[in-house]
Order: sequence, then structure tokens, then C-alpha cells
Amino acid sequence: MKLSQDVLLGLFFVVFGVVSVSVAMSYPFGTSGRMGPGYFPVIISSLLVLTGLLVLFRSKFVQPEILPAIRWKPLLLIPGAVVIFGLAVETLGLPLAILLLTVLTAATSIKFHIGWKAVAGSLAFAALCSVVFIELLGLPIPIVGSWLRVLGF
Amino acid sequence: MDIFNGLLLGFSTATTLSNFAYCFAGVLLGTAVGVLPGLGPIATISMLLPFTFGLPVDTALIMLAGIFYGSQYGGSTTAILMNLPGEASSVVTTLDGHQMAKQGKAGRALAAAAIGSFFAGTVGTLFIVIAAPLLASLALTFGPAEYFSLIMLGLITSMVLTSGSLLTAFGMALFGITLGMIGTDINTGAARYTFGSPYLLDGLDFVVVATGIFGLGDVLMNLENERLRVVGVAPVSSLFPTAEDWRRMSAPILRGTGIGVLLGVLPGAGVLLASFSAYALEKKISKHPEQFGKGAIEGVAAPEAANNAAAQTCFIPMLTLGLPGTATMALMIGALVVQGVQPGPEILSQQPALFWGLVVSMWLGNLMLLFLNLPLVGMWAKLISVPYHFLFPTICVFMAIGVYSINNSVFDVYMMALFGVLGYFFKRMGAEPAPLILAMILGPMAEEYLRRTLLISHGDASVFFTSPLSLGTLVVAALLLLSIVSPRFRKVREEGLQEVD
Repeated sequence: MKLSQDVLLGLFFVVFGVVSVSVAMSYPFGTSGRMGPGYFPVIISSLLVLTGLLVLFRSKFVQPEILPAIRWKPLLLIPGAVVIFGLAVETLGLPLAILLLTVLTAATSIKFHIGWKAVAGSLAFAALCSVVFIELLGLPIPIVGSWLRVLGF
Repeated sequence: MDIFNGLLLGFSTATTLSNFAYCFAGVLLGTAVGVLPGLGPIATISMLLPFTFGLPVDTALIMLAGIFYGSQYGGSTTAILMNLPGEASSVVTTLDGHQMAKQGKAGRALAAAAIGSFFAGTVGTLFIVIAAPLLASLALTFGPAEYFSLIMLGLITSMVLTSGSLLTAFGMALFGITLGMIGTDINTGAARYTFGSPYLLDGLDFVVVATGIFGLGDVLMNLENERLRVVGVAPVSSLFPTAEDWRRMSAPILRGTGIGVLLGVLPGAGVLLASFSAYALEKKISKHPEQFGKGAIEGVAAPEAANNAAAQTCFIPMLTLGLPGTATMALMIGALVVQGVQPGPEILSQQPALFWGLVVSMWLGNLMLLFLNLPLVGMWAKLISVPYHFLFPTICVFMAIGVYSINNSVFDVYMMALFGVLGYFFKRMGAEPAPLILAMILGPMAEEYLRRTLLISHGDASVFFTSPLSLGTLVVAALLLLSIVSPRFRKVREEGLQEVD
């Protein structure tokens, strides 16, 4: 079977559906008049499996579209940078977390190069955002994170 | 409360200094973010959501509505000047709007869009004033069977009206319902699909999923073809419509408004359907259909009016029934729930100031847009040309902060990253995520009402067909599904919904 949009999507639906059917089977099913927590999930995820199979079946008849090459760098780096932001926001504080996120995401661009302008710009951006969100909007996010406080900042 | 007193209350709520200021701020910010290429209303709203967290609920809702109109309007500017629709409903605007811009008539196209939108917005607001209280009192008589059928209609419309295949859309909706089931089952208290994680007991936050899929997913998609993203911005010429323009666009604006007002109420994808139908109608009745697609002003004015009228009236099912008609309205419900308000028919009697204040501020917001956009169009055009490599890190930062601050939860930030990758995957697989988003909200509601209905009837499903209202709704839903099988509709749908990306 050649990889095409339909094959990948169909497989996604089937795999996800099979997992959720098998989980849903462990919940009490109940009756139509008194549905248990498993009733609706079993129906919905069985339909999902069925739909996935139909999508797979359809892929046999549709001329597969050529999947363009994936640019892996942004696809890995951007979600990675968001995860790092999540790790840093409480431990290092908002300004540093923003700085990390800005620099790491910007690094995925084909236009990226490190220069004093880029450094100054991202520092200023991190400071500005911290002021706007913490001071002006009053969001409860630490400026100095828990790790830095331990170190005595 | 009669309409007159309601409007008085609304005016006094909407014109307090802070509400007025936040309405203005919302419209301004919404336009500023909405004109940025690649950011549709959903991404804009989820990015700007944290700005509303600290506000009282009526102010927050007024500002959110302002952001919504602003982003919708900003999207038209980008569509006309750059040929880049921010969302599906601005696709039609690109057809003639960008052609006009190419012919040096960008200013007149923008003016037609702004004037059409303002007129439609005014009529749309009046329609809400009259129809919403009626529908809310009708909704109080709805039983669970009627609600269930309405939800089915909404889900089916959203599937039928999305681009791509119906089967794919069906799968996406089922996937969305499954995501919606994560968390504690309200009827039995059982934890479902939580895999023992305490973070999932309250379910996935809808705003987090939407931000990931539409915001981060779009960033990933755009970076894929970063080199291709260098697009020219058409210069803006004189904004004054000529006498000929006025003559040609007034009737289309009236017709577009009428279509938009009616279709906007339809659960599912009324806004999208409205702009496509208005365009199709103008082309059909025009004496010069050959001019369409080559810069006919009717082809800008009518769909823009329809679009905006529907964007107003799609608040009606959201506010009076608690049912979101579009993915954007689903996001608004998410934002309301963050604020502790559950939309539904009781909102009118229990929080009249909130309801009427919102309605009046909708009209004020539209008025502001007219004055903001025409004189400042040069500024927006400059903003459009901000290069993408400055833009997307900023977008990522705003989204990350926004998602974190909904529940002060780092877990939500990780979920956003995960759904960003999923959003990218879906786009690459040719699957539109809009039905998923809507289903995530509507799915759990459907389960709830199905359970209640069958509990009352002791498991007898025939109640869905013995209530005339429920039966009627289901018949409409079935007709919609059947219509897609008809070759003629299929052709129109494929042509109409092709994404001009």
C-alpha cells in the first residue's frame, strides 16, 4: 500500500478508534434507558474505526496525491520550544521563558541569524511582554522562577 | 423585559467608560492581529484571550466580540490587498476584491467591504434584538429531544459545509467527540479516558485544543513554505466609491444582508454558507456575469455584507440556546465558561445587562470599525507587510502565555504543542479541523441530551420523531446529507469550498 493522504488519515482514525473502543469497553455499558459511562464512547469510537476503514478503502480508488517533503526543522523545533517554555515558565520565570521561546522559534526561520540586533530585539520583547502581561494585565505568572529564587535572586 | 427597556439597559451597559474603551480596544487589537496574513478569527481570539481574563464578565464578552469583528474585518483587508483569505468565508472576497486591487481600485473595494459590512452589521444587530428574545422564550419550551436534534443538525451542517470529503469530515467530527469525552462523566462521575492523570479529570480545555490546532498548526503549515510566503501588497488608492459604484453595490448589499441574516442563525457553518450563497446569487442575477472574478464590485459588496450579517446573527444560537454554530462561536463559549457563565436561554432573564450590553456594543463595534478602517487603511496595509520571520515567534509567545494563563497550568502548554502537531498533520492530510472543534463542544452536549431523552422515554428512541420540532430538525439534517449526494450540489460545493490558499 502506497502512503497517501487517505492511508495516513485512515490509519490515524483506525488506531485512535481501536484504542478508544478498547478503553471504553472497560466502562459499564448500561442500557439505552439508563446509559452507563461506556455507552456513548463505545458507539462513537466504533463509528470512528468504521470511518477510518472506509477512508482506507477509499484510498484504493483515489489517485494518491504526492506528499510534499516535510520540513522537519520547524515541525520539531517549534513544538519543542513550546514545551521548553512550559518547563521554564514556573522554574525560570516569564521573561526568561519568553526569551527562550522567541529565540528557539525564530531559529527555525530561513532568515535566522544571530546578531546584536536580534539579541537586543528579543530581550526587549521579553521585557515588554512581561510588563504587559504581569504588570498591566495582572496575570499570576512568576517574574522570577522557583529555581532562581532558590539560588537567591 | 420588553425590547425598548432592553436596549436602554444595553446602551447604559455598553457606554460606560470602561466597556466602551474595551470594545474599542478589542476592535483595534482584533483588526491589528486579523490583518496579519495567516491569522484567522480563531487564532486571533485565542491569542488575545488573556487580555480579557482580568475583566468583569460583561466587559470581557464585549471586548471578545470586538476582537471577533475586528479580526473578521482585518481578514477582508488581507484578502483584498494580498489575495490571502484568513478563513474560509473570506475566500469569496479574494475573487473580485483582489482583482479590483490589481486594477488599482483597492481603495474602492475596501470601501465597498466596509460600507457593506456596516450596513449588514446594523441590520444584523436589529435582527438579534427582535429574534433573540423570541427564540430564547421558545427555547425554554425545548425538551432534551429537541436539543439533541438541533445539535445533530449543527454537526451535520458543519460536516457538509467544510471543504474536502464528507467522509473525512465525519471522521474528524467523531475524533472531536472522542476528545470531548475525556474527563469526568457528569452523570455517573466515572473518569473516562483520563489514563489516571489528574490533569485530565476536568477534560481537555477546548481553548487549548483550538489554539494548538488553528494557531500553532497554522504556524507550522506556513513555515513549510516559508520561501513562498513573499507576497506583494497591492497599493491602496482613493477610498471614495464613485457614483457608479454606489449604484452597482447598493442592491447587492441589501440582498447580501438578507441572506446573511437568515443563514447566520443556521447552526453549523452559516457564515461560510452566507458569503458563498450571496456571491452565487449576484453572479446568477447579474446582467454581466462574465465580469465576476474580474473585479466586479458586486462580488465584493454582497458576500462581505452577507458575511458580516451572518457573523452577527450566529450569536443568536450561541446566546439563546447555548449551541455554538461555528468554531469561532465554540471558542466564545469556551471563553464564557472560563468567565463562569454558561450561555443558554436563561441568560436573557438572568443576566439581561450582559445580553443587552453585548448586543448594543456589537453595533458600536461595527460603527467603530467603519471609522477605524477607512481612514487608517494605510496603516493596516503597512502592518500586513511585516515579514513572517518577525511575526511567528511573536504569535507563538502570545499563544503560549495565553494557554498557560487559562488555568495556570503547564500541562495545557504541553497539550497545545501536541495539538499543534496534530493540526499540522490534519492540514497535510487534507482534513479540515473545523468539524473537530465544533464536535468537541457539541459531542458532550449531544451525549447529555441523548441520555436525558432516553431516560425519560425509558429507552424508546421514537420520541425524536414524535415531537414535531425535533422531527422537522432531523428532516432538515437528512435533506442536507442527501443534497450532498446530488451531483449538482456536489459540484457547487466543490467549486465553492475550494480553498484558495
